Amino acid sequence: MATARVVSQPAEKLDDSGIVAASLEDPEAFGELFRRHAPRLHAYIKRRLGGALADDVVAETFATAFRQRGRFDGRAEFAAWLWGIAGNLIARHHRQETRMYRAFARTGVDPAEDGVADLAGDRVDAAARGPHLARALASLSAQDRSAVLLLAWGELSYAEIAATLDLPLGTVKAKIHRARTKLRKALPEEK
Amino acid sequence: MDELDALRQMRTALAREESPDRLALRTNWRSGTPSRRRRSFKVPIVSVISTAALVAGAVVVISVTSSPAPDGVPPVRLGENGGAHEPGNALLVAATNVQKGPTREYWHTTRISGEIYAVGKTAADHYKVESRTQYDEWTDPRGKECVTVEGLPARPWTAVDKQKWQKAGAPTVVKVPTAEGPAALFLKDMQPGAPCRKLGDRRFLGMTPKQLAALPTEPENLESVLLNLKGDWEAYTSKAGERPIRALKGDKRVRALSDAAGTLLAGAPTPPAVRAAAFRMLATLPGVKAEGKATDPLGRPGTVISLPVETTVPLGIYTAPKQLGTYRRQWIIDPGDGTLLAIRDLVATPPHGSRQLPPGDDGKPRRLTVASQPDRFHKPGELSQYEVYAVAEWTDTAPN
Repeated sequence: MATARVVSQPAEKLDDSGIVAASLEDPEAFGELFRRHAPRLHAYIKRRLGGALADDVVAETFATAFRQRGRFDGRAEFAAWLWGIAGNLIARHHRQETRMYRAFARTGVDPAEDGVADLAGDRVDAAARGPHLARALASLSAQDRSAVLLLAWGELSYAEIAATLDLPLGTVKAKIHRARTKLRKALPEEK
Repeated sequence: MDELDALRQMRTALAREESPDRLALRTNWRSGTPSRRRRSFKVPIVSVISTAALVAGAVVVISVTSSPAPDGVPPVRLGENGGAHEPGNALLVAATNVQKGPTREYWHTTRISGEIYAVGKTAADHYKVESRTQYDEWTDPRGKECVTVEGLPARPWTAVDKQKWQKAGAPTVVKVPTAEGPAALFLKDMQPGAPCRKLGDRRFLGMTPKQLAALPTEPENLESVLLNLKGDWEAYTSKAGERPIRALKGDKRVRALSDAAGTLLAGAPTPPAVRAAAFRMLATLPGVKAEGKATDPLGRPGTVISLPVETTVPLGIYTAPKQLGTYRRQWIIDPGDGTLLAIRDLVATPPHGSRQLPPGDDGKPRRLTVASQPDRFHKPGELSQYEVYAVAEWTDTAPN
């Protein structure tokens, strides 16, 4: 059974770039990167695409990263590089993602949370604002959506988002500003 | 709260990080030889536990539901000429009996959607569980909406199911397969209801309450307006997009029109004259038949109206057919006071075979199998899902 195999003691002490370099000689070393980065990345993708797709996208992200590790030059953070790969894969599901937001907006029930045993309290909360946000998210362009969700759900900094999307910082700020404006307009007024 | 905070509170149930070991197992990750094998693709389009029933409505039966009739229901009157089973007759009676009370501060509806799931591996050794979600909506005169969504505890469906469930140790959480993947049902009390949450402007079929009030009161004219409504009226389509109902033919058009009529009758603050027109319009649709008496899932007696629908999956959500059985959709109406009590879907042909689905967004082929169907062990005539309209009233009582 394939578990994340880690990895000799030294690898754990290396930084990400060091591990990538080591993995060119010793492929198994790459497993430490999965261990370090998969949980957070997976949680983020799950939030965007739902659980069923998230497993697949994470698998493909790491498979791609592993295959292309020779091209990682260490100038950028490994995390940004990895999230950039994931972002391209998420973008392939743009229509599916949009469809789920729309279904959520229309029905008040979030397809992404299919089978997730959330608390009734959460559901009620989602019933209030979720569909409005979902409608606005559905209307965003792929990049605007990614930018604002990397901020809100990925908890990346502006600089990290810029690195991940491979865009200038100012462009990222503009995109997030635009997305936030749309989201704000979509929210019902609190009484 | 600003919009970023609101976003951060969205889908929090999905934000939990899982251990890398579990993820490695599930994604089949191995560093030396990253696996290219992927799980069969599933489209998590809809949370089956509630959405399927939410949009379409469907449901239950005749049999075992407890909670009997709430209030003094006026006797069902089917017209003097006695032709009780004359197609549409009950609908015309209902039209003349639509209540014409005054409008008040709030339009309030309570609906419960339910779905019957089989728990177990074989037809011989399984029991059925009813999952229920209750929706309460208040719409004020300006069209602002306040909503509560409450997951009612699931419960064994019949007395026999209850025995089997108890024999199985009376689990409070059961796993059930659905077309979208495994789901869990909770047979215990949920968190008590929270106060309703304010949403923005409520639209019914895309219309504001004001627009509803201006709908034609002649059935032909009403149908004509509905035929021009744009929306996703297809049960499934690979090309999502809004089209008027008019673009549909045959059973598909009947399905869309009957869905729209259902919204006007059960969900929306529709004026009485428009309600009456909706009943009359339904009576003119091809294939719509009255079929005798039944009680709704709350035990209220009514008349069954059967609809000739091609499929009962909710409109506008799926990109591929997600059913392997065939169904009969029925309305239960109370002709005596002109109300739609419930919509239910009975199994006609139980799920069978399997179906190639169009490739998912990743281009991989998919297959729908019987094992994924909640009603895989249903027999013909058994209830698959329902939506019951417990309350649809004008009230001066403010939302809780």
